Amino acid sequence: MNTHATESDGECLTLESKLSEIARVPPWIEKLSARHGIPSPIQFAMDLCLEEILSNIIRHGYAGEPNHALMIHHRINREGSFTLVVEDQAPQFNPLLVSDPPVPQSLEEISRGGHGIKLLKQFADAIEYERMSNGNRITITFIAHGSTQAGRRTTTT
Amino acid sequence: MQISTEELEGGVTRVILDGRLDIVGAQAIDLKMNVIAGTKKLVLIDMQKVSFIGSMGLRTLVIPAQAIKGRGGKLVLFGPNEMVESVLKSSAIHTLIPIYHEFQSAVAALQ
Repeated sequence: MNTHATESDGECLTLESKLSEIARVPPWIEKLSARHGIPSPIQFAMDLCLEEILSNIIRHGYAGEPNHALMIHHRINREGSFTLVVEDQAPQFNPLLVSDPPVPQSLEEISRGGHGIKLLKQFADAIEYERMSNGNRITITFIAHGSTQAGRRTTTT
Repeated sequence: MQISTEELEGGVTRVILDGRLDIVGAQAIDLKMNVIAGTKKLVLIDMQKVSFIGSMGLRTLVIPAQAIKGRGGKLVLFGPNEMVESVLKSSAIHTLIPIYHEFQSAVAALQ
């Protein structure tokens, strides 16, 4: 967790627990990408993972209640590696424990929902979940290696 | 998110999407997609100008595809960019809703 990051330096973003707030994420990622030279596949993966995890927290963690906070912090670990840390004060929810939807055998069997966490797991290079005293912390790391489809790893602590 | 339609020969409806198929984008076009799903039988979704898709965007494609198939029709996807296609493939949707990168092949698949 980068405790030095602040909203004013652009490395943090605080959202209210409303789905409409997620629209603030893509322009924030664009600014981060321009500032830190984040490659476009990583930018896409960050955008996707944040949309999925934030919408999950808002709909399930906070049960659609507004006026709660979600904090996102950006951290550079080393060259070509980028981390986003998402914190909330919602009841305990570990997205890594959610089962993937079954592989469909026909068009009728395609699940209309449940793809979000699967996409999160597939487009992040590493995901770590931590239960905090008053909420949840999810740390998502992306590594620039020419593909967003390799080297997935998940951890729960 | 913008949506427009164009009627092609052979009863094919081309649905042109333009923008981000995220939560906001999906909500913006869901009603029009539902109307298309309830009235058209051969549908080509032109995704060349879709820059992003998330799970809610997938839902916006899957529900009409299921409805159209239920009425004896077919829906295909045309021209997603590399990243959008990787999302479609990650969710295995591409195995049941075909993706084409040549326009004539997409149209031919509907006829």
